[in-house]
Amino acid sequence: MTNRSDGGRQLPILQRSIRYHRPRAPFCGVGYCTNCLVRTDQRLNVRACREGFPTRGVRATSHAWPSPQHDLLGVLDLLFPRGIDTLRGFRRPAWAVPAYQRIVRRLAGYDNPDSVASPPSSGPPRTRSVDVLVIGYGTSGAAAVDELKARGIDAIAVLDRNGAEGDGTMPGRTTAVFLPPPTRNAPYPFRVLASEGSERAVLVSARKVIVAAGGYDASLLFPGNDRPGVMTADGAFSFERDGIEPFLRAVVFGGGDRARKVVEKLGDRVVAVVAPGEVGPDLARAASDRGIPLYPRSLVLGARGRSRVRSIRIRARSFGPRQTLGADALVLAHRRIPHPQLFFQAGARMVWRPRVGAYLPAVDAHGATTVPGLYAVGSAAGAVDLDSSRASGRAAARAVAEGAEPGVDVTRSSPPEPPNEMQGYYRELLAEPEGFAKWIACPCEDVLLRELRRANEDGYRGIEVIKRYTGLGTGLCQGRYCVPDAVLLLSIWEGRSPPEVGYITQRPPVVPTTLGQLATLETPLSDPEAP
Amino acid sequence: MSAPTRSEYRTVIVGAGVIGLYTAYYLARAGAGPILVVDRGFLSSGASGRNGGGVRQQWETRATVRLARESVGAYRRFARDFGVNPWFRQSGYVFLAENGAELERLRRVHDIVASEGLPSEILDSSRVARLVPGIAPEAAVGGTYLSTDGTLYPFPVVWGLYEAVRAMGTEVLLGAEALGVRSTDGHLTGVATTKGTVATSTCVNAAGGWSRDFSERAGLTVANAPTRHEILATEPLKPFLDPMVVRARDGLYFSQTMRGEIVGGLSPPSQNPATSAMSSSPAFLARMAGALVRILPSLASVGVLRAWSGLYDDTPDGLPVLGEDSHLGGFIHANGFGGHGMMLAPSSTARVARMILGERVDLDPDEFGPQRFDGGQPSHATEALQLG
Ligand SMILES: Cc1cc2nc3c(=O)[nH]c(=O)nc-3n(C[C@H](O)[C@H](O)[C@H](O)COP(=O)(O)OP(=O)(O)OC[C@H]3O[C@@H](n4cnc5c(N)ncnc54)[C@H](O)[C@@H]3O)c2cc1C
Ligand code: FES
Repeated sequence: MTNRSDGGRQLPILQRSIRYHRPRAPFCGVGYCTNCLVRTDQRLNVRACREGFPTRGVRATSHAWPSPQHDLLGVLDLLFPRGIDTLRGFRRPAWAVPAYQRIVRRLAGYDNPDSVASPPSSGPPRTRSVDVLVIGYGTSGAAAVDELKARGIDAIAVLDRNGAEGDGTMPGRTTAVFLPPPTRNAPYPFRVLASEGSERAVLVSARKVIVAAGGYDASLLFPGNDRPGVMTADGAFSFERDGIEPFLRAVVFGGGDRARKVVEKLGDRVVAVVAPGEVGPDLARAASDRGIPLYPRSLVLGARGRSRVRSIRIRARSFGPRQTLGADALVLAHRRIPHPQLFFQAGARMVWRPRVGAYLPAVDAHGATTVPGLYAVGSAAGAVDLDSSRASGRAAARAVAEGAEPGVDVTRSSPPEPPNEMQGYYRELLAEPEGFAKWIACPCEDVLLRELRRANEDGYRGIEVIKRYTGLGTGLCQGRYCVPDAVLLLSIWEGRSPPEVGYITQRPPVVPTTLGQLATLETPLSDPEAP
Repeated sequence: MSAPTRSEYRTVIVGAGVIGLYTAYYLARAGAGPILVVDRGFLSSGASGRNGGGVRQQWETRATVRLARESVGAYRRFARDFGVNPWFRQSGYVFLAENGAELERLRRVHDIVASEGLPSEILDSSRVARLVPGIAPEAAVGGTYLSTDGTLYPFPVVWGLYEAVRAMGTEVLLGAEALGVRSTDGHLTGVATTKGTVATSTCVNAAGGWSRDFSERAGLTVANAPTRHEILATEPLKPFLDPMVVRARDGLYFSQTMRGEIVGGLSPPSQNPATSAMSSSPAFLARMAGALVRILPSLASVGVLRAWSGLYDDTPDGLPVLGEDSHLGGFIHANGFGGHGMMLAPSSTARVARMILGERVDLDPDEFGPQRFDGGQPSHATEALQLG
């Protein structure tokens, strides 16, 4: 399924978009987006990026026909340049409605459960009861674990999505943190659900939980933002990891440390760095060492090329000149979003942080959240560099070890902060005369920017209503790649602050978890008293 | 709009869910304005935005069969009448019986439904297997099927009504909570809200799962009881399942939406008193998953995408409460719809509107009127098929 015909570039087209059958290549590299959804003999909707982009044993889903590379249904994209209006269309004539329904229904969905030849029977769940569970084994998580051990706390479990038995961590993507109904002195007030691959459920009962889950690279809105070759920094790194060279000339978007890391890793395959604002000194040095031109304070106006990016159009901000950069990839490294899901879901109080442009848990000096026993450390709690990440991990571990009572002062309002730079960026971008042709505001569900605009013009307000009106945020990535930017746009259009626009409720499971896995938890989970 | 534009309204409706908005729609269409609808949440934040979209006509009480049948007609026309498409799809409801006794019970329902002229069918296990491909043999010995039952998307129903009533001049005030009522001599004179008090002689309690709360704020005692119900949706699949499926034993239900997701729910094992948190519980996820996989084993490899919950506004006899309160003139109940307000909304609110307009309606007050609970247990038949 790898396309090697293109000058040695191996950008796989593994999937087509759900509605318009636009070609899609891997984007996020961390198993959230829908672009690399494939099937194996045992499993449906597997993310190829999580399996090391295997070529053995994976098959395309039955969504594209005959194949993701050559999908005849791609004609839908051309036939409906302004999108398909399922909300107001397909109403007339009455006699045709059943036929519309059959056609639209047949186009829906990725695969049929029967297409899986031998579904695995989920093994018994892996269950553990511990004093402390650490979620995420990055910088801050590892610092917390070291500190806990140094203080003699050994009943620890570490869950990490890349975990392996060997390094003392449990493999598993955490999908929910549940607080059972208040019971008298429940020994393990937290129960954390995770999924290990699709085979096994993991259920950890813990007295305390330290969340060190980090963040993820945000996506970017512009016409053609879903074209093969547009990917996040994590997406680019996942190809590197698996020895795939999907591009030769990448434009990197971002002005800070994340972009510097991309430049350092990809080296001579970077042809330009475009930043929404100023370029940080380290990045500037890394770029000039390699002779890479910088385009600070610039907008990405669009990507050209259908089945893969051929060029990127940019414009200096404040109505500067336009320019076209020849490139076969755009790597997004402009903003990292701390994972908010587990905190929202556990009921911790969240605070909108304008500068980050995201919600962070309200914490005290030790990282204690408003949920007793639940701690947030590292970039999940807003740490910006390695040192502060490590320090926050250690501080939480100390507080856990010493049994410090949390003292989150929720009444204290945070000092005023400047808004996230992307807010001004989008304000300027939307003033462009490009119109809203097919800007994909929600790639998982193929929701167009014009649909958001229309909803706003029709008088619908707030992200919760817009979600229900357009379907934005209801796809397989659970809104990770569309909601953050949609909140910024709505805040511009509605003329109110992002927190007034709201946020979509984070519902369990925060990563898809199979019915088979969940079913194995029927006995352990139906008893609220059981550890 | 941030406050009512007038000081007096002919009718004030509390709740902008499908019940409140449909009532407003009929009143506005009859020219009975000005009307004010208040809701403390956002549009579709209540049960009207949290349900499974099932519309069935298989009921044990005749009056309900008729109300549901009329609603099916309304939903068939909805897309054309309102310009917004709820994708109402008549692909039937299958009730599953796991044993002979349940099949007997379903047969009684079938007799009533069929005698009302609907094409209800009794299914043997092989017909069940054709209608529900992949069903485990032990999941059903038979069942009933009504091909004209169906499913829809609830949200477009809310949008269509919202746009229609506003186009007719009805004010819909979101983010405004009704705090209580004003009355003189047992008659309503006004409604107090967080955006001010307005004068009116008619107030409709369409507050769904919070109807008991609002009735109590008006000083009334009612039999309604809110209960929390959970529901989940899976990853979208290619279409393989047409009808809504309901297990007769406990009301577990699931269907495959137009988008391909399997959406389904299961009543809690014991009474689940409403908590303010409309969250999801681990126990539900596991119970529902276990039940689904036992019925359709191939679903084991399908991922659950999200789970949520909402309130049923339950009544002791499983029937809604429609009509004027006998203790407070002008206070109209349009609540108590349990898990069936979507399917009963078009027809029952048409009658509520007619009652408000002083017209006669074809509903037996002993069956639907609020005073039926006054003397303890109601005398009439209860709706036994309170499932799904
Ligand atoms: C999980 C679930 C599944 C369901 N499945 C189905 C199904 O398949 N088929 C079916 O027909 N029905 C189903 N139902 C039931 C159906 O959703 C409800 O009966 C119906 O939506 C009720 O509509 P409503 O307008 O009365 O209530 P709601 O939609 O709940 O509206 C009530 C509104 O009143 C507002 N409110 C409350 N108190 C106040 C106050 N004091 N001041 C201002 N505003 C107030 C609330 O904010 C809310 O928006 C289901 C329900 C749930 C929870
Ligand atoms: S982009 Fe995944 S849900 Fe919107």
